[in-house]
Amino acid sequence: MVLDIGTVLALLRDNIRKTGLPVPVGKEVLWEWSKGLDLPREGEVLLYTGALYQLLPYISVFARQLARMEKSGAGRLAFKAFGKLGGRLGGLAGLVLKPSKVDIEYSHSILRSVVELLKAAGVSVAYDPGVDGYSGVLLYDMGLDDDFRAHAEGEARRLVESGARVIVTVDPHTTHTLRSVYPKLFPWFELEVRSYLEILAENVDKLGWKSGDAGAVTIHDPCFYARSEGIIGEPRTLLERAGYRVVNPRRWGRMTYCCGGPVESISPGLAGRIAEKRIEELHSTGAPVVAVMCPICLSNLRGHSRGKLRVEDISILLRERLEA
Amino acid sequence: MTYKVVQARLGEILRLLEDKAFQKALQDSVGNAEGKHERVAASYPYLKELAKKVKEAEEKVLADLDHYIDMTIRSVEKNKGVPHLARDAEEARRIVLDIAGECRGPIVMSKSMVAEEVGLREFLEGEGFEVWETDLGQLLIQLERGRPMHTTAPAIHMTVERARGLVRERLGLEIPEGAGPEDIVAAVRGFLREKFVAACLGISGANAVAADTGAIVLVENEGNIRLTTGLPPVHVAITGVDKILPTLQDAVAEALVQAAWAGLYPPTYLNIIAGPSNTADIQHKRVYGAHGPKEFHLILLDNGRREAAKFEPLGEQLRCIRCGRCQWECPVWQQTANKWGGPVYGGPMGMGWTAITYSMREAAELSLLCLGCGRCDVVCPVEIPLSRIIRWLKTRAHTS
Repeated sequence: MVLDIGTVLALLRDNIRKTGLPVPVGKEVLWEWSKGLDLPREGEVLLYTGALYQLLPYISVFARQLARMEKSGAGRLAFKAFGKLGGRLGGLAGLVLKPSKVDIEYSHSILRSVVELLKAAGVSVAYDPGVDGYSGVLLYDMGLDDDFRAHAEGEARRLVESGARVIVTVDPHTTHTLRSVYPKLFPWFELEVRSYLEILAENVDKLGWKSGDAGAVTIHDPCFYARSEGIIGEPRTLLERAGYRVVNPRRWGRMTYCCGGPVESISPGLAGRIAEKRIEELHSTGAPVVAVMCPICLSNLRGHSRGKLRVEDISILLRERLEA
Repeated sequence: MTYKVVQARLGEILRLLEDKAFQKALQDSVGNAEGKHERVAASYPYLKELAKKVKEAEEKVLADLDHYIDMTIRSVEKNKGVPHLARDAEEARRIVLDIAGECRGPIVMSKSMVAEEVGLREFLEGEGFEVWETDLGQLLIQLERGRPMHTTAPAIHMTVERARGLVRERLGLEIPEGAGPEDIVAAVRGFLREKFVAACLGISGANAVAADTGAIVLVENEGNIRLTTGLPPVHVAITGVDKILPTLQDAVAEALVQAAWAGLYPPTYLNIIAGPSNTADIQHKRVYGAHGPKEFHLILLDNGRREAAKFEPLGEQLRCIRCGRCQWECPVWQQTANKWGGPVYGGPMGMGWTAITYSMREAAELSLLCLGCGRCDVVCPVEIPLSRIIRWLKTRAHTS
């Protein structure tokens, strides 16, 4: 049964308008991961997570809920009623978005690995929970331009006013939005935006690795890193230097294949089919591990890997190989 | 907002995902076609350079479309052809009906997406004509009473069993149970041969039209275009005004690039037609109507194209050479074929074309199914910013 797209999009817009985040969660979800890290709040190089990794467990629960609705015979009706029951904000999601502790801790471990890797590479980053936020990418992808502009302007202003010179991002969607979309909308947004993978690759000689073979890894290049931002060599360099044997799937680099995730909120069935095809292809490389570097890919591919493969964020794979 | 169009289509798509025969046929075809353009371009390195030149030539025309339309019309007249400019589908159908007039034999058609766009076959059938598609894939679509599932390979969603069944049931041809594609092709060849010979009118599309010479260029591998455009006494070519290029050299280049990115290179046949057949073999006096058609008509269809040319980025869709490469490479299209699309055009290129020629509303809503992954942008030989066009369309899905 087809989902009610109007309700999905209304929820997205309402959530962002009211909390700045695409799903109904408390603001603390954004920065809980950084507790105890003692990162400076100000600095020339500022980390902006874009919130997608922190929201990953919540989005996964939401996506599973949507998939169940789409599969069920009365999905659309049920969905509408569900939406009304809880009211516009928080209703639908608030009723169901209760991810497991394990999943939440896992998403924290990704961001903590990023910081640890940057530190090991001699790069110190500042992190200000009050500046961190969500880029608004989903609004942009759905063509909700008025909402996107209204939200993005606030994000861009906070970043500019933070006094930082370089913004470090951790996922391809946020990297692309800040680097290639914001400057077109806001000519005053002139900050340098870099993915942490680019920074790590530049400083790869400073990183010390455990010795020995770490095994074969295949790489699922995310669309926006590979096609829009030209980040293709960096993950390969890093994984190889960390001791992994990189095996490229049939479709990689500029011709990489989408995980299906971007259409998940409209049709989990279609998104899932695309993910299954991609998993088959990644599995056929013979590598037992897939390195991903996008939270959307991580969620969608994990959800369809059926235990065939370990789908792992690249930050975890790299951190595991850092010498003690 | 209700998003009725995309919700209804999603229902069909979800059913298709579970349709084993459809998926098998589609996946087999995709497996053969994906990435083929890269292998072709690697073997013939000049093709990428040629594609760049085609892009530049297209940009020149679109910057001054009306001028090039006028030039084309004058050139066709010079060749003793009859040019027509049709504002919309209805006018195009009426022009063809006038030409067909008292036509007393079958009408044969080579595959044309523009003919499909104006609903030409169904229209002529409705007017009482016997009409046959002569491209095998398109004939199967006619027999199925369906619509093309890919721009250059219309019947990719059909298994051999389905194709055999249609030809047996609808044409009454004797094809043994379990027969393969070779037997189907042979049976259809025999059936259509009689139609070609008896036809009173041949209708083709055109891959490109040269403004300087009024010549049209057609690329094919079946040989049906040669027969459709060569045997009947009257030939009507119908194509969009977007297919105009400045020179015959550009037009030939476009056809070669189209063939390469469609995945078949060299093309088996490349046809250039500049007016009706003629001879000056007796005392050097030019006589029209030699072995080929005595009459040649070129219908240039507007149907929203001239208006679209004014919009950025939608106007860039008009540079599309209809190779269908973006469809083969699109993760969504690979699951849905042209079911993700409007009544004629589907997949990445189909969003823009549906907006231009059919309905902005429909295209805008259907665009919401695009992943925005950008594979289409990378493979388009003439660098149409397909994902940018689709995102632009998405912004129009949220207003009533």
